[in-house]
Amino acid sequence: MLIEPPPFLDMRRVSYSFPAYPNVVDQVDWQIGRGEVHSLVGRSGCGKTTLLKLAAGLLLPDAGSITVDGDALRRPGSQLGFVFQSPTLLEWKTVMDNVLLPATLQRRPSPADRVRADELLALMGLSGLGGRFPTELSGGQQSRVAIARALLLAPSLLLLDEPFAALDAITREELQDDFLRICRLAQTTVFFVTHDISEAVYLADRVAVMADGKITEDLTVDLPWPRRHALRYGAPFNALCAQVRQAMDGVLAC
Amino acid sequence: MLSRAVLGRLSSLVLFVALVLAWEMFARGSRLSALVLPAPSVIWDTLWSGLRSGYFWPHLVHTGTQLVLGLALGCITGFVGGIVMAESAFLRRLLFPYVLVSQVVPKLALAPLFIVWFGFGMTSTVVITALICFFPLMENTLTGLQQVEPRKLELFRMLGATRGQTLLRLKIPSGLPVIMAGFRVAVVLALVGAVVGEFIGGSKGLGALIIASQSMMDTPLMFAVLLLITALGLVMYQLATGLERLLLRQHLKETTKD
Repeated sequence: MLIEPPPFLDMRRVSYSFPAYPNVVDQVDWQIGRGEVHSLVGRSGCGKTTLLKLAAGLLLPDAGSITVDGDALRRPGSQLGFVFQSPTLLEWKTVMDNVLLPATLQRRPSPADRVRADELLALMGLSGLGGRFPTELSGGQQSRVAIARALLLAPSLLLLDEPFAALDAITREELQDDFLRICRLAQTTVFFVTHDISEAVYLADRVAVMADGKITEDLTVDLPWPRRHALRYGAPFNALCAQVRQAMDGVLAC
Repeated sequence: MLSRAVLGRLSSLVLFVALVLAWEMFARGSRLSALVLPAPSVIWDTLWSGLRSGYFWPHLVHTGTQLVLGLALGCITGFVGGIVMAESAFLRRLLFPYVLVSQVVPKLALAPLFIVWFGFGMTSTVVITALICFFPLMENTLTGLQQVEPRKLELFRMLGATRGQTLLRLKIPSGLPVIMAGFRVAVVLALVGAVVGEFIGGSKGLGALIIASQSMMDTPLMFAVLLLITALGLVMYQLATGLERLLLRQHLKETTKD
């Protein structure tokens, strides 16, 4: 019999309330194995972002426990990368300085940091744009910069909050492919929040459906890796999407 | 074809020339005494001879020095005060009522008191000017630092930034446009502070010169000094907008793509 390795991100009976909104996250159990990509779908306002912030250590749970790689999570740290809904770049810094920000806040950036930033920009299809300012880039390019920034310190856990929500469909699909390639390459553990069902299925090993602060459905995505474009038009993919949709419809809107 | 901008400027210049000409004709044609309304040509003669003989220069330098010193003192204390109050809710609650009272009191009414404290001369005027400049800088620094996008603050928390790093590398740079808007207001107010300070407590400077011209009933001199004060104000304002453009050049990058 195989012994299951301990999960990398382990959330047990996690609850969180805002003063005016009780039980935004209500007794959530969720485990992500090392190197896996999980997505979290749900309607707006069902607690997805709050759960992600709890996983990041930006919020501390009222009850329950969260461990990352066996250690209790008390505050955000450099082992975690976070990508916000909007790119959240510093407009007065160049693209390169934005990507280097996680390093410059800790130390003087080394030549190795610059090389890594250059590599990440190249991987993201932004070669030669390091000297530009964020406002000189398109929305899609800004999102790529935000992802490159989150990957700079090679975080073992990457948390993303609808990072592609504001992009057009084609740009979004391109970014999804680039993103998956980079994460698989570095064996990064990923927790990806989205409200787009096909995005959730395409990117993930497992999909969590959230409603009313609870995780109501846990679906394993049994599709081959690496994911290819054609997959989106196949029957298994669409069957899974329909399953997620059904899970979302099965619960009352929150 | 002239562009709209050039046309606008040209019209503005034409209007100015027309107004000056109308004034000149009115002053010459009417029986009004030169004591009440001197003709522009007379004012120009006074201004030109004063500048050539060097009569105006020490006064101009004096007012300029007080303006710059008062502006620097007021802006530095306002900037630091704004930071302190933005960073500490306790200090904000503690100090804001006092700051507010100090600003509601008409500062020029405090001038006689300052003369008692600091004597006639430069110190009083510099203190008045600083007191006037302090508020816009403090208010705008406070607002600018508090208006940072919450998501950017979360990003800095996420990246483990210290409080000092968050202040220096996020809050101040992102609040800079608002802070610089306060600075522009402060520059204009500083001129008022310096000149009016000299009205009350000065024996030198452009403000003192206006009072002197009044007592000598030399209205052309008064107008000439007013012109000098206006020119000084315009130069200072241009310098301030130049500094603003320099500091904000990275904020002002135009979007080249949609």
